Amino acid sequence: MPASWLDVGRDLLSSLGDIAKFSWRVMAEVFEGRALRFFGETLRQAGILILGSALVIWGMAFILGLTCGIEAAYFNRALGAPAYAGFFAAWCELREVLPYAFGYMMSAKVGTGLVAEIGAMRISDEIDALEVMGISSLTFLCSTRLLAAWLVLPFMYIAAVGAGFFASYLAVVQQIGEVSSGGYSLIFWMFQNPPDLLYSTIKGMAMATVIVLVGCYYGYTASGGPVGVGTATAKSMVLNTVLVHVVGMLGTQVFWGTNPRAPIGG
Amino acid sequence: MSDDQRDDDYIDEVEAETGADPVPAADQRSADAIAQETAGRSPMTSEPHHEIPANILDQTREGEHPYQWHEGVNREHGSTDAVEFIDVKKSFGRNTVLNGLNFGIPEGQISMIIGPSGTGKSVCIKHMVGLLYPDEGDVLVHGESVPNMPDDDLFEMRKKFGVLFQDGALFGSMNVFDNVAFPLRQHTDKGEEEIAEICNRRLREVGLAGALDKMPNELSGGMRKRAGFARALVLDPQIVLFDEPDSGLDPVRTALLCELIQEVHAENGGAYVVITHDIMSARRVADYLAVLWKGRIVESGPASELFNSPNQFVRQFLSGEARGPLGME
Repeated sequence: MPASWLDVGRDLLSSLGDIAKFSWRVMAEVFEGRALRFFGETLRQAGILILGSALVIWGMAFILGLTCGIEAAYFNRALGAPAYAGFFAAWCELREVLPYAFGYMMSAKVGTGLVAEIGAMRISDEIDALEVMGISSLTFLCSTRLLAAWLVLPFMYIAAVGAGFFASYLAVVQQIGEVSSGGYSLIFWMFQNPPDLLYSTIKGMAMATVIVLVGCYYGYTASGGPVGVGTATAKSMVLNTVLVHVVGMLGTQVFWGTNPRAPIGG
Repeated sequence: MSDDQRDDDYIDEVEAETGADPVPAADQRSADAIAQETAGRSPMTSEPHHEIPANILDQTREGEHPYQWHEGVNREHGSTDAVEFIDVKKSFGRNTVLNGLNFGIPEGQISMIIGPSGTGKSVCIKHMVGLLYPDEGDVLVHGESVPNMPDDDLFEMRKKFGVLFQDGALFGSMNVFDNVAFPLRQHTDKGEEEIAEICNRRLREVGLAGALDKMPNELSGGMRKRAGFARALVLDPQIVLFDEPDSGLDPVRTALLCELIQEVHAENGGAYVVITHDIMSARRVADYLAVLWKGRIVESGPASELFNSPNQFVRQFLSGEARGPLGME
């Protein structure tokens, strides 16, 4: 094996180790309550998340809900069980499509935004300026953003799930119209229950946490001027996309891997 | 082997390598000064066979010793040291930037660290505030070791400092007023009215009373520096560091900024450290000068004495002459 491949592997492991260490420090600052010293900044970041990302996420969830609904209606019609459109819509959205879509949108918009913002602060000495003022830049910039994400994103995610469900209902019942509203709802709710919503939210939040931490890491450690920030942004996007799938796969395995939690086969 | 023997061997080695005295013959007094200076020093800098880093050798003319002009003389400045560098070494990968740095920043004076570009001046500032730690050696601020401070003490110690970064380092998400008010809001219990009063006063001092609402990207380079200066002063720091305050400014604005530094120092006191390679600024402002080259102090002392130094490198640099020990290497 060429030495360069070994180097790539070693560098990758080293980067992952650095990210894990960095993430632990950021989370520790939140758990120890240090981020609360900058609660104003946390609220500002929460506001930025809501104003900057909520509509995009809900809009995309709505469109995906429509897609799932249409696919569900035609697929189940082809099987001769159009009444079961709710089953497909429920599983498709809650368990997989919405968490992944949430992850993609978070990594594309929030993750890259964090790298660009914090990276620009790094190369323009703003982070050093914070440090020499006696303010922990890690807490002020990263822990507050993580706390803001944890405060805001569960609600945004659940609202996105609602938008997706509503869109599926519109597509199956109102647009295609082969199932009655009651029939659709019966099957739709039969194939999910509150723990599924909780698991789905946990899956989405795990993705969001990873994305915020990776974004903060690449921004915080950016170097090499504007080109360096651009490179860091691209790297964060690649890693976040991979990690979204890893978290998605692990979530599905852990929450539904051994028990589909579906009223099938009696 | 004693330190004295090491020093003798070091001088012999330099002679053998360069075929010349390690210090200028015209200033043989300095050889004694070096011997005295290094007598109590750790082996780090006085070790005879100490390896000179490749990047420093690259900056050296053929046949010369890299440190032949470095007398290491720290002339008496009549004050205690606010900050001390003790045998500080710092490398970035294979690039050695500080290589046995020894000097002190006097209390109550405006000090200037001058030297050619890329010689470690900004790295020096970052060591003072604990943004960088030395690979070897120690940095003391008011007698306390910066590298050995726990994080909480370090953040507390940094409140003694005000730092003006090269481009001001204003927070891009805040306007000028909020930038200046930021340290007060974070570190004091003052009400908004009192904060406004302090900020307005500081901004008036730097001539930015009319730019309170402007965002950093709406300011010129000079205005950003002045806003950064106001922010650096807002907590009445005991030590103020200026990282090339004159870079990118026209001569008139540089002169005005120097005047401002002197006025504010006269009013507030404390140890001010200005990093520059602008000799005019040094002549205007400095009470104390330290000439840094190849990661070590060539010579340091009161400005009036250094401007009359017999050291050829110091003379060349302070007069801006093309011919002398400093070339394009």
